Amino acid sequence: MRSTSPRSWQAERRDDLSLYETAYLLWGRRRLIGGVVAALVLVAGGVALILGPSYSAQAVVGITPREEIGEDPQTFADEVLLFVTKGDEFKREAARRAGWEGSLQEFKERLTVSSFATQEGGPGITVRFEGTDPVEAARAANAYARHFVERVDELSESRLAGGSLAADAQLRQEAVPPERGHVLRFLAYAAAAIGMGFLIGGFAALILESRTNLWRDARDAEMTLRAPVLGVIPDYSAEEPR
Amino acid sequence: MNLGALKGSVRPLFEAGSPLRRRFEELAENLLSRESSGCVVVTGPERGAGCTSVCLGLGAALASMGRRAAVVDCNLAEPQLHRMLGEPNFVGLTSALAGEKPLEHYGHEAVPGLLVVPTGPVPADPDSQIESQRFVEVVSGLRESREVVLLDAPVAAGVLDSAALSHGFDGVLLVVHATRTAKRLARETTDSLLEAGVNLIGVVLNGVPEGAERRGEGRA
Repeated sequence: MRSTSPRSWQAERRDDLSLYETAYLLWGRRRLIGGVVAALVLVAGGVALILGPSYSAQAVVGITPREEIGEDPQTFADEVLLFVTKGDEFKREAARRAGWEGSLQEFKERLTVSSFATQEGGPGITVRFEGTDPVEAARAANAYARHFVERVDELSESRLAGGSLAADAQLRQEAVPPERGHVLRFLAYAAAAIGMGFLIGGFAALILESRTNLWRDARDAEMTLRAPVLGVIPDYSAEEPR
Repeated sequence: MNLGALKGSVRPLFEAGSPLRRRFEELAENLLSRESSGCVVVTGPERGAGCTSVCLGLGAALASMGRRAAVVDCNLAEPQLHRMLGEPNFVGLTSALAGEKPLEHYGHEAVPGLLVVPTGPVPADPDSQIESQRFVEVVSGLRESREVVLLDAPVAAGVLDSAALSHGFDGVLLVVHATRTAKRLARETTDSLLEAGVNLIGVVLNGVPEGAERRGEGRA
């Protein structure tokens, strides 16, 4: 080559795609990305409709040992929870008190009970219920929690089952009917769908852009090749075969 | 100039005042503004980019601007220039390489100011002809009478394989076709040319469909 002076564009790094170039490429494929986002939002809306409305309510029960416990509070809470609620009879009674009209299996599927132990409040359990309406969710969570409190007292007083339980339980926090749970869930699904849509659509756009044979204009060519475009020649009907 | 004697397929390239001509004139002005526009190798990432038509259109535009130009077909594997012009290929570049007369003698002016030189008879071993120092000397000799010499070259892989084509002249002009050339291939070709130290002068985007440019301008 006779001319050896390096041009600035020839000396540039060519392996990285700048933010501006990426934005330009994505803008060129905005219809694809918009389509993917719209499709995913529709799917999310469909899923939300199929699953139906869901409202979550939570009650908290505190457990107080009557005697000094040798184990850590979390283990104590686990053992009380297991001991008091073992078998289906406990849940059946809780469902009956809640006025639950569905099957016991469905009641159990909507119910989440977990134990906890905090420095301030000591051991306890949280009762969360997913209902199809807010009142139902709160009623079921409270029914379960109250039944738990009664059962703990009952077992502690009577010392049934070997008299192994010596604790008191108190309903610390009643479940209250939640508001707009369904709308929030739909919005969460929609937000996730939009995020996923941009990711998938953007990725697909970049893949397609790298494989396409269609060049939009000189700017597109300069972006792709990172070289100056000296001329744009329009298509004219007769082109030579090579 | 007798445009009627030209093949219909190339006639638009020589029509003065046409929109196509104006685009080639813009290309010519941009090329002339570069410091290395004397002997320019015109190539493409693959067959079908339209190098020969760009050479002819650019050459004609240069000639119409009063710049004496020449187009030399050095694609000995697949000669195209004489086919596009609908002419025989009895003498040309290879004749000059074998003989004593200057290359100008083996071509003719397609339009005033534009010399076209076909490959001439293709030898059994065309690569050896292109690789010789004489090839560079013979083509460069055209600069005595021509301001710009355009070499209608093989595809870029062939240019990269040839030290004469990749480094023997002032620079390389890469032609990509707007509907045929894969972007990935074009990018890889550009990278390969630059990595090989070739003086890539620039790119010509050829065959842009009607309306696409306006859409692009609208976006910009």
